[in-house]
Amino acid sequence: MKNRLELRAITRSFEDGGTARVILDKLDFKAAEGELVAVIGPSGSGKSTFLSVAGALLEPSSGEVLLDGEPINRMGKQELADVRLRKLGFIFQSANLIPYLKVEEQLRLVANLAGVSKTKAAERARELLDQMGLSHRRTAYPEKLSGGERQRVAIARALMNDPSVLFADEPTASLDAARGLDIVQMLARQVKERNKSAVMVTHDERVLAWCDRVYVLENGKLIEQ
Amino acid sequence: MYLALREMRFAKARYSLIATIMVLIAFLVLFITGLAQGLAYDNASSVQNMAATHFVLEQGSNHRFTRSQVDHAKLEAAERIVGKNNAELLGLRMTTVVPFGGTKKVDVTILAVEPDGWLSPAVITGSSLSADAAGQVMVDQKLSEEGVSIGTILVDQPSGTKFTVSGFVRNESFSHAPVVFVNQRDWLAIQSQADQPVYNAIAIKGATAQGSELQAALPGMEVIKKSAAVSAIPGYKEEQGTLTMMIVFLFIISAFVLAVFFYVITIQKTSQFGILKAIGARTAYLARSVTLQVLVLSVGSLVLSGILVRLFEIALPESMPFRLGSSTFVWTSAVFIAMSVSGSLFSVWKVARIDALDAIGRAAA
Ligand SMILES: Nc1ncnc2c1ncn2[C@@H]1O[C@H](COP(=O)(O)OP(=O)(O)O)[C@@H](O)[C@H]1O
Ligand SMILES: [Mg+2]
Repeated sequence: MKNRLELRAITRSFEDGGTARVILDKLDFKAAEGELVAVIGPSGSGKSTFLSVAGALLEPSSGEVLLDGEPINRMGKQELADVRLRKLGFIFQSANLIPYLKVEEQLRLVANLAGVSKTKAAERARELLDQMGLSHRRTAYPEKLSGGERQRVAIARALMNDPSVLFADEPTASLDAARGLDIVQMLARQVKERNKSAVMVTHDERVLAWCDRVYVLENGKLIEQ
Repeated sequence: MYLALREMRFAKARYSLIATIMVLIAFLVLFITGLAQGLAYDNASSVQNMAATHFVLEQGSNHRFTRSQVDHAKLEAAERIVGKNNAELLGLRMTTVVPFGGTKKVDVTILAVEPDGWLSPAVITGSSLSADAAGQVMVDQKLSEEGVSIGTILVDQPSGTKFTVSGFVRNESFSHAPVVFVNQRDWLAIQSQADQPVYNAIAIKGATAQGSELQAALPGMEVIKKSAAVSAIPGYKEEQGTLTMMIVFLFIISAFVLAVFFYVITIQKTSQFGILKAIGARTAYLARSVTLQVLVLSVGSLVLSGILVRLFEIALPESMPFRLGSSTFVWTSAVFIAMSVSGSLFSVWKVARIDALDAIGRAAA
């Protein structure tokens, strides 16, 4: 099995009142095709920092990030934006969607940014929305959607450009238990079917059963449970 | 652009409000510009319409025709340099006339010109000036509003000289007063003492190259450009200065209104821009999106206010001086758009500073 995402000896520290605080300490991580990996840990342990480094949003102090075997360390800002656009998908906690775009347009936007043709984008958006059970909400604005529906749109948008790796930052935080489970199941199914990798940071213990592996972030390292 | 127009469609109320403000400002800009141009023309059209490029005035006259005196000798000196056909004497006197038999006084400006020369304007009705017909004058059309018609006798108050209106000319006023054109013989008649006529200026045609030569040949005289002569017309600078200041302020206000509006909504949308950057939108794309919205607003409001101004112009009374030529319209619009776009730069800078990292680890923002 191929590793979609690999982190090698990642260290990240923040300057804090003159002293450097090490948040990630020579951390190693791999996620293979078809795997949904969960990262848990107490607040302030560095989960968001980990996700930002893996998601090409934050530069590590040292170490290497590889996407489909390609290192991204040397890339400039614009190249990194392109990597995020084409190879990564993000599902955030909430306030994920652009308020003035209809459901279908949320998906079409990322295709438009990537320069995908209109007909291809329309077809793919229809297919993804069908799979997420959102066909009937195609022309709704986010304000008219329930919390669960919004996160499903976010998953569909993350998949729109056929990325390698999905990142989810507490995707169930604003949902009730049943809907939270729904979202994680849906994410797990897409990862398996489409051979993606997914990394999910969560507080929600109930959804861990649906993840292939669970890590705890402690003292700057990931420990498998 | 994908985002810009969809956002305007979604937040119609918000963008309509700002568009309304922009239409009103753009309307004021265009209207005052038109008024300034109209007043300028109403004030100075006779000088503006002269074929002259330069004028020779007495030194110390502060560029004012009325304060300057020149004679034939000076004309001959100028003719030697620019050629006989490119220099003409111009007499100017601001006075009051009374149509014969009436009691109503009218302020006019008397211009003395060579009847066959290039300073003499084309007549639109009646007959033009001639060198030997005594007491025959051409007058500006505006005088017809005072009941003057062809054949009316005008009495010059200070000298008591009588003139008969023989023809009408168009767009000839000086310091807001309609112009009465007289030939040189009549010019002499209204000068009480002198037996040699004294003029006020020499009009020069196309002397850009010989400017300094001309200056050297005419000691005690000053060669000025037509535009300098225009702005020295009494009241001209003051009028234009006030209106120009208003226009400049309106430009600045429009830039500020847009700057504040876009800055506030940009700050409101910080987390949104963070998410857009996180999912791979480039800063340049987002900056273009903001700029496009500003362009749509400013161009749209210009089009609307342009239509409004035209409608207004039709409704305005004839006597209202208003002129908005297409080149002025284009020029004013270009400045308006440039100012608007400059007002959005602040927001663009703000967008550029938003970090994609903001999207991670954030609850509902
Ligand atoms: N940009 C930053 N500058 C300084 N310290 C930071 C920065 N980002 C995160 N930290 C610190 O790093 C630690 C880990 O933060 P974070 O990754 O957000 O943890 P978690 O997501 O697990 O709650 C926190 O103590 C936080 O204060
Ligand atoms: Mg966090």
